[in-house]
Amino acid sequence: MSELFKYDDDREAESAAKVRALEALLIEKGVIGSDSVDTVLTHFERVAGPFNGARIVAHAWVDPAFKQRLLADTPKAIAELNLPQGMDGAEGEHMVAVANGDGVHNLIICTLCSCYPWPVLGLPPYWYKDPVFRARGVREPRAVLREFGVPIAEDTEVKVWDSSAQIRWFVVPERPAGTDQLGEDELAALITPEAMMGVALVPSPTASSSTP
Amino acid sequence: MFTRFEEYAASSMLGHPDSPPRLQGKLLFAKEWEREVFGLALSLSKAGCFEWEDFRQNLIESIAEWEHAPCDGQPRWDYYERFFVALMKTLKVSGLLSVAELAILEPGPRHDP
Repeated sequence: MSELFKYDDDREAESAAKVRALEALLIEKGVIGSDSVDTVLTHFERVAGPFNGARIVAHAWVDPAFKQRLLADTPKAIAELNLPQGMDGAEGEHMVAVANGDGVHNLIICTLCSCYPWPVLGLPPYWYKDPVFRARGVREPRAVLREFGVPIAEDTEVKVWDSSAQIRWFVVPERPAGTDQLGEDELAALITPEAMMGVALVPSPTASSSTP
Repeated sequence: MFTRFEEYAASSMLGHPDSPPRLQGKLLFAKEWEREVFGLALSLSKAGCFEWEDFRQNLIESIAEWEHAPCDGQPRWDYYERFFVALMKTLKVSGLLSVAELAILEPGPRHDP
């Protein structure tokens, strides 16, 4: 980290002390409980987030029958996995998975606002709501994907899916080469929200040491 | 429409000047106190202590104050420092804390290096 962005330890300690003093006071006064802060954060850290999508995709990679069920009826297949509560919420009940592969690459956008499958992808990146991304995603998806570092072969069809209040799409990316020996947890660790939006590929864990 | 307060609260900030730092679908907290102050604001609003939108407007204002500060002596950008300032302002208006309690918690004058 450059000197320019170095943290000022005193300032950090001061901020931390102020926040703790405020939290302690509010707990003492009975305004919030001692576990209130952790409870709300648990939602983002363990209930709804990209870790769910990664588990779903990893399971689809190792179980082709599950993958078929996932593509045929996404909410029903997801329900098999005993993911945390919240997967069946208003943001999750209309989710539909589409798979990359067999000459097809899928890209998820939202032309109207920023509908997004929160329970499986977590918080959308800042550019997802950008009107330019939304417009260009429809008009020239190959150019957009190239800019994301995902060049798509001419003979591969690019399908663009427009998320809405009715349907929240997510992508099952292709399983990278060199992952035959990996277990589901290790596979899940490779899968990013961007790969499940179609703007990234899942890199092979050996990619850095091999020639593409 | 979000049926969970946590998602409504975070969603309302996205694409706006008060958008929180995040990485790969998760909130990005560089320090534990940043996580705590974010959770604290959410918990308080969820408990009905103030409207989330009121807090957001204070946060946007707090960020604008930093942006408009003269470069000389402007402290390094720190999203969660602005967040804390906004939370204190919101609490002051809410009447949740007494004047004496606020005086203890109020950020004192800084002497940045």
